Amino acid sequence: MSDTSNKRWPIIQDLLKREGIARQHLNSFDEFLERGLQSIIDEVAQIEIENAEYPYKIQLGKVKLQQPRMMELDGSITHITPAEARLRNVSYSAPIMMEASVVEDGKILESRFVHIGDIPVMVRSNACILHNFSTQKLIEHGEDPNDPGGYFIINGSERVIVGLEDLSYNKIIVDKEKVGGNDVFKAKVYSSIVGYRAKLELVMKNDGLIVARIPGSPVDIPVVTLMRALGLEADREVAAAVSLVDSLQNELEASFEKAADVQTTKDAIVYISKRIAPGMLEEFQIKRAETLLDWGLLPHLGKHQENRREKAQFLGEAACKLIELKLDWISPDDKDHYGNKVIKFAGQMLADLFRTAFRNLVRDMKYQLERSGQKRGINAVAAAIRPGIVSDKLNNAIATGNWGRGRVGVTQLLDRTNYLSTISHLRRIQSPLSRTQPNFEARDLHPTHFGRICPSETPEGSNCGLVKNLALSAIISVNVSPEEIIEKLYDLGSVHFTDAKEDLKRDGTRVFVDGRLVGYYKDGEKLVESLRELRRSSKIHPHVGISFHKSSVEGATKRLYVNCNAGRVLRPLIVIKDGKSLLTPELIDKVSKKLMSWNDLLRMGVIELNDANEEENCFLTLDDKDTKKYTHLEIFPSAILGAGASIIPYPEHNQSPRNTYESAMAKQSLGFSTPMMNTSTYVRQHFMWYPQTPIVTTKAMNLLGLEDRPAGQNCVVAVLPFDGYNIEDAIVISKAAVDRGLGRTFFFRIYEAEAKQYPGGMRDNFEIPNAEDNIRGYKGEKAYRLLEEDGVIATESPATGGDILIGKTSPPRFMEEYREFESKGPYRRDTSIGVRPSETGVVDTVVMTQSNEGGKMYKIRVRDMRIPEIGDKFASRHGQKGVIGILARYEDLPYTAEGVIPDVLINPHAFPSRMTVGMFMESISGKAAAQRGTKFDGSAFVGEKMDEIKTALEGSGLKYSGKEVMYDGRTGKAFPVEVFMGVVYYQKLHHMVADKIHARARGQVQMLTKQPTEGRARGGGLRFGEMERDCLIAYGASMILKDRLLDESDKAEIYVCERCGLVAYHDVKQRKYVCRVCGDKAKVSSVSVAYAFKLLLQEMQSLNVAPRLMIKERV
Amino acid sequence: MSVKIKGAPLQYANALRRICLNGVPVFAIDTVDVIDNSSVMSDEGVAHRLGLIPLKTDLKRFAEPSKCSCQSKSGCSNCRVMLVIDSGETDTTRTIYSSELSSEDDTVKAVSDKIPIVQLAPGQKLKVEAYARLGRGSDHAKWNSANVSVLTHTDKPDEYVLTLETTGALSPEQILVAGVDELESRLQEFKQTISELKA
Repeated sequence: MSDTSNKRWPIIQDLLKREGIARQHLNSFDEFLERGLQSIIDEVAQIEIENAEYPYKIQLGKVKLQQPRMMELDGSITHITPAEARLRNVSYSAPIMMEASVVEDGKILESRFVHIGDIPVMVRSNACILHNFSTQKLIEHGEDPNDPGGYFIINGSERVIVGLEDLSYNKIIVDKEKVGGNDVFKAKVYSSIVGYRAKLELVMKNDGLIVARIPGSPVDIPVVTLMRALGLEADREVAAAVSLVDSLQNELEASFEKAADVQTTKDAIVYISKRIAPGMLEEFQIKRAETLLDWGLLPHLGKHQENRREKAQFLGEAACKLIELKLDWISPDDKDHYGNKVIKFAGQMLADLFRTAFRNLVRDMKYQLERSGQKRGINAVAAAIRPGIVSDKLNNAIATGNWGRGRVGVTQLLDRTNYLSTISHLRRIQSPLSRTQPNFEARDLHPTHFGRICPSETPEGSNCGLVKNLALSAIISVNVSPEEIIEKLYDLGSVHFTDAKEDLKRDGTRVFVDGRLVGYYKDGEKLVESLRELRRSSKIHPHVGISFHKSSVEGATKRLYVNCNAGRVLRPLIVIKDGKSLLTPELIDKVSKKLMSWNDLLRMGVIELNDANEEENCFLTLDDKDTKKYTHLEIFPSAILGAGASIIPYPEHNQSPRNTYESAMAKQSLGFSTPMMNTSTYVRQHFMWYPQTPIVTTKAMNLLGLEDRPAGQNCVVAVLPFDGYNIEDAIVISKAAVDRGLGRTFFFRIYEAEAKQYPGGMRDNFEIPNAEDNIRGYKGEKAYRLLEEDGVIATESPATGGDILIGKTSPPRFMEEYREFESKGPYRRDTSIGVRPSETGVVDTVVMTQSNEGGKMYKIRVRDMRIPEIGDKFASRHGQKGVIGILARYEDLPYTAEGVIPDVLINPHAFPSRMTVGMFMESISGKAAAQRGTKFDGSAFVGEKMDEIKTALEGSGLKYSGKEVMYDGRTGKAFPVEVFMGVVYYQKLHHMVADKIHARARGQVQMLTKQPTEGRARGGGLRFGEMERDCLIAYGASMILKDRLLDESDKAEIYVCERCGLVAYHDVKQRKYVCRVCGDKAKVSSVSVAYAFKLLLQEMQSLNVAPRLMIKERV
Repeated sequence: MSVKIKGAPLQYANALRRICLNGVPVFAIDTVDVIDNSSVMSDEGVAHRLGLIPLKTDLKRFAEPSKCSCQSKSGCSNCRVMLVIDSGETDTTRTIYSSELSSEDDTVKAVSDKIPIVQLAPGQKLKVEAYARLGRGSDHAKWNSANVSVLTHTDKPDEYVLTLETTGALSPEQILVAGVDELESRLQEFKQTISELKA
């Protein structure tokens, strides 16, 4: 019997199929293009050209985006596709056109669309040319039809703006802290409007006094004074803004007392001004205070004087929550609760960037136009725009991940190791918290992550729990206009807080929209009901979150929050009405037959999207049999996992960290990452010869398209030691299986060369460097032997380390002064590109194209066949990794009576402590699947149960235990015990011996220190480190010590003057030793020291320190 | 094919099993000259696939390259067979099967006609010359003489059952006979080595 929730799988299937894997990125970017861009421009609205003789204004109008294109060197325009951008190393970006009008005396004189810069276009977004392409058309455009998009292409490389977790904005979060044994209560708000953030903090200490901390004010301001300054003069008014409940008002006593001297608004402003700008002119002080109140304080409520009342009200609400917390009527807010978090994606991140870039552009325009006062009209305006300001800023930021103000690493290079790693990368969430601090709570799994964030997929080490991945069922909310919702609320009978009567204010529910108090309603619970009803009948947007907060304490304030903001993590749930699930079998049937989409269900109110706050009001069940008492039914249990953990069969039987390891490891497995291998331009790429879909699969694997882009092979695995060749996690692999193609991959590397043009007419040439010409760095004839006449290697030529692929010569780096009598002509440098020293391969593809700068560009792809060898890393899907210990001979391997010889032998010690029972289950279900002839479903929680396996295995005469009699291939004797054997999916990981093997006898040294270089790429030595040194010291092996650290490192002879102790030298011309200090009196001796020591002496001398070596004759 | 071995010690019986598995020489493609390959598959890929195609083997007519009288590196007609694939032009997507492997010697040909080699898209071509040689499974699994070579025990001591299944390159009987010969010659060789040892 399979799990009943399997019936509901089609819903999740339809959801992910339709929305795609990168929906969160695409939604965010599309919204930015549609509204964000315009709203940033509208903020500026107009540019005043303050010119003495001829003042005018430039009015900024509509923006629109053109098709992605690039400008060639000659100024012509090419419309490009993403594939072309990747190939030619250019950015995939589109010009932004903005309507600009010249306005004089309120009349529009001229207007025109002007180019204000290029914006990188997200692949597969609405602005991308691939948008709405059919599969066939995508293939024609050189795209993988299964590519999810959601990334940018900057200078040919794919960059993702990883989702950034942030605390919710405009939300009052109360917290309790212990300072020196005393409780301190705090209410914090991150007030934010697009691109601008200000933090407000209300603090209540022991004495009950509430003070406000505002950015821009060095001292705390009593909250009552602040409220007075905002226009609430009377005590009654102030108290009413907090609460009308007596016991809450009583707590304000200390605050009122503190503010007793300041009774009027005017006084309050003066009070504040004295503290924020002491010692200034009074007039100026007042101005500063007013600016603080309008800009620094709660800017999300508005930046004008008329918003002050509302701000006072908001402060009152914050104070109210604070007091309720103190009275223990409510509990402190949980910062790690996912309802208090939002995730920012590309759109929001780009908005920040575009705002500053656009403001710079406007400033620059204004400056230019004011300076050149004479020219005017739209042509002058167009000429004053430097689109580069915007284009370069956006391009550079995405290319480097440098977002300004110290935010680095915002973008990352898209992981294309395999298809799964790409998907997982696009669903990644980063936390801004420092990875060096412990932040234990923030790293923990939180109950509200359920269905939103994958419980397994997170890196180990410093980023553990800070980098997360979206669960399959997670949906990121989009912005919904709050105005409509507010209107609906008033229609339903909410009363604006200025009109509300006292009893309503005291007993009613406070209604907030996006953290803003909009009014009161008598019966909050009823309002929640009607709002949700509206949402379920699609009268309001499904992404709107509605949550109701009520304390069990009598008299406590009831609050209703409606959230319309983008970036909340939602998850779909089935609505239960009157004890019955609304999702009927007929509906499921329609969805699975594609007659209906999950969107229809959403519109019908059968399923709804809940954020973590709203989920607190829900009562969930997993069981569709027992739906009484519950409000919602879970759709599908496996969907709580993310992409990475979704590939693990039977993960619920594994020890949890094993699933975490596997989630990380699966991203390193090699397989079939893209069907567009022939046009792929990734610098490093692996490709498996015979990838297979796993015989024990999961529902999510199929859904995510991983069965079309597999990364691994099904192996017959026996759990058996083999002469010690599989101890300590090594694995034994059958050589015959390897001969037949098991684990065989190609490694592709692309080498690039571009002929640049330099100022002064100099340019790079592609040619075979000639020994006779004056060429610096000539590598010898042998290195160029593979080049054809054009200086480029032919396809299918085998090339090894050091062989030149593209011959290229360049002009001198610095133009030297002209030397008339120079016998040789001007030299050129050899800048040929060769195969990396430690690699080999066959030239696979040669591509010639034109680069961004107009130069000829070659991309040469070299392929290298990688046959598994001792030391290559493999892993099953259960975090059981290991390296090959031996490629065992076929005849030595154990066999069954049937003649089955396993491909892999894994040591039994790999299991007891790790408890990866899932691997055993995969093993026997794999065996059963092979017997049954169809795949097994190993989906988490709902996979096929063990009785299915039993039927399949016993039906074909195998034991349910998975054990079999086996014979030792070397002796022909049967093993005294039966051996556990089955079929397990093994992944080849991209750590291969061929990439790491390294040895050195003699070789390069560093220029500065003359010590051996470091690292394989530079042919470096292996470090004889401190601990190794300690060993030799302990042994007293002084000659070995000297050999390692001096003779075989940077031994150098220096000459020292015995009289003064300073370094002397040997003058070759005079054939004598010279000490510059002692002159003739010098007695110079040769000493052998480490070159680094000589360097130290000289560096000290440069600091005006005279190190003297006192040397004596060795006895 | 299963044979019962009586009276032989386990060591002998297992040695025979091991020799039957990969000690008897069979034909397999060893060298491939790629003349034209515009398919999506790399030259190495095509060569590897060709190598794994089991070929019918006549042990009497051919000698192993190392034991052949020609002693040349490329081989002679006694130790080498050339097979050719020439796909020609195609205007539909089609798969090249082992049936298109034409051999210069009728006795050495693919065991089955239905082994797919590579799929060609319209306009793609494949033209290769492949050379098959005799070899041992211990060098590469493509020369494995038997698929299955299993020695199982019976209730009685010194009585075993040897089961053989083959790729079709040789019949099980041929393998068994050749295997016994091989075992004998190896023992002979061993005896020789020992006798040459000085006390």
